Amino acid sequence: MCRRFGLLLILGVLASPLFGQDTLISRLRIRADSLLRTWQQAVAIANLADSLERERATIGRDTIAVGALRIITNASPLPVRQAAALAWPAIDSLYGSAAADLAERPYFIRAVDPDSNARRAVLHVGLEVPWDLDLRSTTTLLLTTVPIAPPDRALATWLTGVLRPSIHPREDLGGVYLEFVTAPSQAARGCFMGDIASCIDALGLGDTNHQLERWYPSAPERRAVVTGSFADFFDHGGSAPALRECVAGRDASCTALLRSLPADVLPKPLSDAARVSLVRDALRLGGQDAYRRLLRDPEAAIADRLAEAAGVSVDSLVAGWRNAALAARPAPVELPWWAIGVALGWVTVFAGCGLSSSRWRL
Amino acid sequence: MAPLRVWIAVAVGGCALIALAYLPPRGAAPRGPRFATYSPEPTAARRRAQAVAKEWRETDASLRLLEDRQHVKWDSSRVGPAIIFRGPTLPPTAVRTVEAVADSMWRALGLGETKVRAALVIALERAPGSAPGPIPDQNGVAFLTPDSTDRTTCMAFLPANHFWTAVLLGHPPRHFEPDWLARWFQSGLGPCAYYAAYGTPSRSVRSWLAARNWDVALYLGTHGIAGERFLSVNLLGDPRYSWYWDGIYSLSPSTVACLAGRLDGCRSAVLYGADDDARIAVPEIVRLEQGWWRKQHLLPGERFLGDVARDVGRDRFQSFWTSSLPVDTALAAALRQPVGEWTKQWERRFIQPIRLGAAAPLGATLLALLLAAVAVSAVALAASRRQVR
Repeated sequence: MCRRFGLLLILGVLASPLFGQDTLISRLRIRADSLLRTWQQAVAIANLADSLERERATIGRDTIAVGALRIITNASPLPVRQAAALAWPAIDSLYGSAAADLAERPYFIRAVDPDSNARRAVLHVGLEVPWDLDLRSTTTLLLTTVPIAPPDRALATWLTGVLRPSIHPREDLGGVYLEFVTAPSQAARGCFMGDIASCIDALGLGDTNHQLERWYPSAPERRAVVTGSFADFFDHGGSAPALRECVAGRDASCTALLRSLPADVLPKPLSDAARVSLVRDALRLGGQDAYRRLLRDPEAAIADRLAEAAGVSVDSLVAGWRNAALAARPAPVELPWWAIGVALGWVTVFAGCGLSSSRWRL
Repeated sequence: MAPLRVWIAVAVGGCALIALAYLPPRGAAPRGPRFATYSPEPTAARRRAQAVAKEWRETDASLRLLEDRQHVKWDSSRVGPAIIFRGPTLPPTAVRTVEAVADSMWRALGLGETKVRAALVIALERAPGSAPGPIPDQNGVAFLTPDSTDRTTCMAFLPANHFWTAVLLGHPPRHFEPDWLARWFQSGLGPCAYYAAYGTPSRSVRSWLAARNWDVALYLGTHGIAGERFLSVNLLGDPRYSWYWDGIYSLSPSTVACLAGRLDGCRSAVLYGADDDARIAVPEIVRLEQGWWRKQHLLPGERFLGDVARDVGRDRFQSFWTSSLPVDTALAAALRQPVGEWTKQWERRFIQPIRLGAAAPLGATLLALLLAAVAVSAVALAASRRQVR
């Protein structure tokens, strides 16, 4: 009897850590459940607080309505109405019928005295801007912070951001022209030369398999990408010898280094700005409902979505975009004829001063 | 009097020239759009909700690790860590592939049958709203080290973000390299790899590591965070840019001193926490938060003990790992040289010693010397031509 009791006691002592673990797990479970309930309550309260903050942000403020734009702001010299009048046509022409949704998504702008050190209330809703912004800056502010709903993940990833109206459309296309002629990529050059398939490749709209070979098919291009964009990155640890070989001209090393990068890190031959300008072109061609059509099917390929939005085939869309970029070629710097005379005149003046100087005396 | 007037005129003229060069004309428009906007801050209620969510995530992760430890199934046909998936169900072929990769990674670390076994809990990304509670943190790696409840199991919790979930579900991106998965597993093992390789550390070593959240024992393998070029020290960026120095000076003084190649700094950086008799919690759950490398006491600390083990060999490292001596003594004995000296040399493998304190750039120094020489020559020339009447 005593032996049996002893055995049970030993077993109990040996099993006590396991019971202890069970207790700990139960305790943690109770705590997790309690935290989950607290979190649900906290989220409900936070939603209410955010909603109240939004309400509070409208108290004593003016609502400025221009088109579908709604701007809730305090009284100040900030030229909000004039800026909205300038911004609205650009916003309306980009988003078309989807811009009507902006009536439900107002801007909240708190204009503040830029020269005051007075302590201001913490900003929970909208933007805080100094009221001495001029009209141009205020318009730019409205264009760059349009409160449109963000696009789906696929489009946002392809665009690397959100689509906004262009502030300088001509300069944007001029930038695309510069990329055509300076990008170290055969795809970009092919696009410049008029090969639409190359344009589609360079924009990442076609087959994305073997992107490295399609974008940078020659050895000098691959070397330029490695040395231009990733020299610091690869100049460490195990990849440093391969980088040195690549710089020395060994293409296999350049290719291996570029292959080791994740696909979305490989530099695009044509930048995000080029992609954005293509989408803007598609929306311009597609008319009022183009933006809605662009967002209609998030599962479709980007090329198909652009074609659907523009109402033309992707080849036509890209060809038109390319022509517009070529037409926006930046003007070369031209030296007026009289500038040569002015330059020579100054040279003569300085040379004369130098040659005719005499010993001086204090 | 006349020369003085000339000098005053020259000085005023110089000032006028400088003003002409630097001051914009009256009424000139600013060059570009000027913004000084401030983004909104979350409300106090939202911050509280976020804080509660963080606490829940930590508690939930601890709970799951403890539960999983009770139910982990060991497959005798495999040598690598047991793999437990959470979230969407993986097809059997994908599971077999993952297990094969984990086994080969395990062998590559020089591990086979070990006294302390490791289990890798991989949490796949869930669709938002598919489960109650806050969205799980996809960066919060955690480890449950062996304790008195279970002395032979070390659990590693490895959340799979969107990228890794796609890879595990059999949809890797096009340029996916096969060894990336093994590297990811290796980096996810953390302290469990040390437990498997060298067993349970002595109390002094464990207390030291606990005090510094195991920051010097996160990677046992020869690679960094995800390969040779992803060391935490590389994340600082390039010394040419200001953010590099912002990063440097956000570190502790001893860490910065070690980066500058100072022996005392290196010694202090390595032995941080060795003097404290840190209470080791039971269960001991080591959490790595996002941006853990910014809080390291030694850069690149994540591979420090891995490199020590490789340099000194298995036996000497084992004797350090299980030594009851104070950490500085045990480590110096294993290294057979002072800790600071070895660490200084080790640090140089990854980074050139930074220069601390004010240091004029070479170009500026040469320019200053040149200007000084011009000024002295001008004065000497003027003095030589001075006429005394």
